[in-house]
Amino acid sequence: MLLMGTTLTACSGSEDDAAQVSAPKAPATIPELTGDPLTLSFVWFEWPPAQALEKFANEEYKKVRPNATIKVNTVPNANWHDAMFTQFAARKTDFDIAILDSQHIGEAVTNGNILDLTDFVKNNIDVNAYDPYLLAAYGQFPQAETGKRDENASLYGLPLLGDTWTMIYRKDLIGDQAPQTWDEMISVAEKCQTDNPGVSGLAFHQANGSDAAAVTYNTVNGVYGGNLWDAKAKKIEGVLNDAAGQEAMDVLVNKMKPLTAKGSGNWFIDEVNAAVAQGKACIAFNWIAASGGLLDPKQSTLGKTREEILGKLGFATLPKQKTDLVPLGGMGMHVSAYSSAANQAEALNFMKWFEQADIQKKWAAAGGVPSRTDAIQSPEFLDAGPFNKVYADSVPRMRDMWNVPQYARLVDIENTNVNAALNGAKKPGDALNDIAREQQAVLDSSGKKGGGGL
Amino acid sequence: MSDAVPLTTDRPGKVASVTPPARGRSRRLSDRKLAVAFITPALLLLLAMSVFPLVWALFLSFTDYSATRGGTGTFVWFENYTAVLTSAQVHLRAVTTLIYVVGAVVLQTVLGFTIAYLISRRTHGRGLLTTLFLIPMMLSPVVVGLFWRFMLDAQFGVVNSMLGSLGLDQVEWLTRQRTALFSLIVVDTWQWTPFIMLIALAGLTAVPKYLYEAASIDRASEWFRFRTITLPLVWPLLLIAVLFRAIEAFRLFDLVYILTSGGPGVSTETLSFHVYKVAFLGFNTGTASAYGILMVVIVIVLTQLYLRYLNKLKED
Repeated sequence: MLLMGTTLTACSGSEDDAAQVSAPKAPATIPELTGDPLTLSFVWFEWPPAQALEKFANEEYKKVRPNATIKVNTVPNANWHDAMFTQFAARKTDFDIAILDSQHIGEAVTNGNILDLTDFVKNNIDVNAYDPYLLAAYGQFPQAETGKRDENASLYGLPLLGDTWTMIYRKDLIGDQAPQTWDEMISVAEKCQTDNPGVSGLAFHQANGSDAAAVTYNTVNGVYGGNLWDAKAKKIEGVLNDAAGQEAMDVLVNKMKPLTAKGSGNWFIDEVNAAVAQGKACIAFNWIAASGGLLDPKQSTLGKTREEILGKLGFATLPKQKTDLVPLGGMGMHVSAYSSAANQAEALNFMKWFEQADIQKKWAAAGGVPSRTDAIQSPEFLDAGPFNKVYADSVPRMRDMWNVPQYARLVDIENTNVNAALNGAKKPGDALNDIAREQQAVLDSSGKKGGGGL
Repeated sequence: MSDAVPLTTDRPGKVASVTPPARGRSRRLSDRKLAVAFITPALLLLLAMSVFPLVWALFLSFTDYSATRGGTGTFVWFENYTAVLTSAQVHLRAVTTLIYVVGAVVLQTVLGFTIAYLISRRTHGRGLLTTLFLIPMMLSPVVVGLFWRFMLDAQFGVVNSMLGSLGLDQVEWLTRQRTALFSLIVVDTWQWTPFIMLIALAGLTAVPKYLYEAASIDRASEWFRFRTITLPLVWPLLLIAVLFRAIEAFRLFDLVYILTSGGPGVSTETLSFHVYKVAFLGFNTGTASAYGILMVVIVIVLTQLYLRYLNKLKED
């Protein structure tokens, strides 16, 4: 498999060598669109928002472009990065719009895989309609400082789906009032677990696939005042594993982990949702965009109607501790540099259409999480789900991971080590020090010849 | 007496025949050319799909080429090989792979041979039993991985549910260091024991009956007959099966990917899984190529040693 893969990619690489220096530029204005039937393909991972997007786009976009059909191709979450970047490596994609995680942008831009949308955005998008950090997080490279946007930096994508973690709690077990601090949350979960045999105090992402365990640690790290790195100095060693970082790891492994279900060390989005839906967790953390199914009576043992379930489940912003930071989730839309000219033009047209105020509100009503401030604050969004207010309140509190070309390796190092600590394969302190050391080595070895990737 | 039918024609050198000769093949298509014509498609396919990628990977293994960066890559000579061979990360995966290969192959051999031996002693229902035992082998490893993942789930899995009904504690099959590797071995054994069984059964069926009859006349015990007739005759065939299984187990990827993702931490990451990460997470294609080539070399060397042992066994 590897040999075939390398052959395909290596053989097809030469003609685009020049494109490796930087991403090609998208036109400032949308070129003439074709009148022929056209399929605009996306690539995403398999989860409810993917189906929601395909349904929504085919219903609404067809009203303005009847000849266009939207196809959202999905892959399992764990294959998402590989599915996109192996095609990028072959310089030929079967998708026109890649839905990249915010941290993938650096890798895609550096390799010239996606279009530079800076001029297009200037001419077609009302950038003032967005929270600056949201716009930057889903499109800007080099990465923006947390909470800010560099207006001189280039943009390579536009927001598709905003997201963050919500705290899901059992109102019938711990009361209507959500815990306000992280320490309080832990003690409430501990009491709930003791009082309710068979129900675990906490449920959260711990798996070593995708970015599951890494996001969990990063969240606790942020809340306890830690930093992932010094972006300007490209320094991780000594920053991630400083006193705050060590405290966060200690809280996660020694205080939170004992409150989780036995064998939950490989849980991710679906498993956490299953535990909540089956009434097996007092407090859980999950991505908002993946929480819709919790209110479906067909998937839940908590009630026979949505109202009955809502009588037992509460949704709140994450508790604060030393800071109020929450993880930035969600994804942006990016135009494949290898798509045909007609499809690139259609992709740009779709993005311009999608970012309009009324369309963003419709997207919100259809189950999406918008990024325009007016849509986030609109009744269409806030009334669509009990967790949407959580998102609206969380926007000013968001922090992202590293958006650098080495992201895939950095997140793998963190995932495997945090997962090892959570499952007793490593001591928490050792795991954190190993993360810092190995990640620093990845950043430092960028220009190294030979042996990269080990 | 009538005249004999002339055996020659008026054209010298041409033998006459009663029936007209079959229409000959075109003179342009000789036997050799025909053979080449038949072989060429398969040969081209083999060259394109196996030989060329191998040679290309060998070339890339001496460069720092990255599939996503593109370009031609810089020649780094043996630096990729040195890095792979001296990496503590690789050594860790090599030990994991070794434990896995030895554990899985030994277990499969013992179980496979035992089942084959028991089946061979039956006179009725042998075919049905053999077919039933072969079912796991016919399933896709991804499907096997997925349903074992559900069955071994600590909270909702049927295995822990059964243990619970026996009054035993829940076991974290996939999330603890020792149990995770053990689970991989068990699942692989469930799927591939039938392969060993099948080959062992073929060997057992081929043992001449008269040897057993002679042993019976000599009033040899069951154990004596097994030790001196059955095992020595089946042993070489069994070793071939072990060789195939060991090579397969050495490059295990799918079950690890589905069942544990290499976890907890990296404790069930095999060499193949690690190559995948090097190749596709960081797209360090040169390093991954060197890593892959080294794995191929190791398999070839070990196989050669093994085959020599087999030949020696045959000569003895």
